[in-house]
Amino acid sequence: MKIRIQRYFFLLCALVAAGCTIKAVGDPNRPITINAHITIDVKGLKDTAVNIEDFVSGQTAELPIKGEK
Amino acid sequence: MKRFLSIMLLVVLFAPVSFATPTYAAEYNLKQMTPKVEQALLNRKARFEKLEAYKATGVIGENNRGYVELLGNDPQVADIVQGENKDRQVIYQAIAEQNNIASQIDVIEKVFAQVQHEKAQAGYRIQTADGKWKNK
Repeated sequence: MKIRIQRYFFLLCALVAAGCTIKAVGDPNRPITINAHITIDVKGLKDTAVNIEDFVSGQTAELPIKGEK
Repeated sequence: MKRFLSIMLLVVLFAPVSFATPTYAAEYNLKQMTPKVEQALLNRKARFEKLEAYKATGVIGENNRGYVELLGNDPQVADIVQGENKDRQVIYQAIAEQNNIASQIDVIEKVFAQVQHEKAQAGYRIQTADGKWKNK
């Protein structure tokens, strides 16, 4: 009984693992092009826009940058 | 043994779901202040008061693509509009390139347009999404 359960368990693990694996198969002379659909987080972008416009209008004195200067 | 197997089964089943769920919020910032971007920002800052004065008279309006638009025929104002739009474009492109969303420049422009419309004072000319101009 235990062995049977273990076998089912390992079979299930194998199936789940296989389902999560992306396998790329193709001709190296014909590269596959993937057109990714980009979804923009408008809220994050809007915060940046507000920061920039606040600097331009003089509401804030600091330059709107989060990174290298 | 059965309990162990049950726990392992649950872990195996739910682990991919937990890994697949993104737990971060995207941020699109100016990550690097290049001399070009800095100059564009400073140009805009220096031009701001003059631009506001023209907006108050209705000669300049904020369009629905994140740029200012000349609503009259004054050539002197046309130069200001051109300069402002050039600087805005530098900033929009920098955000797009530095955040690897260059293909989404139109989204960036529209978000800035929305912010400009929200910041516009009462009576300023703004262009709605359908292209019509109205006073805020």
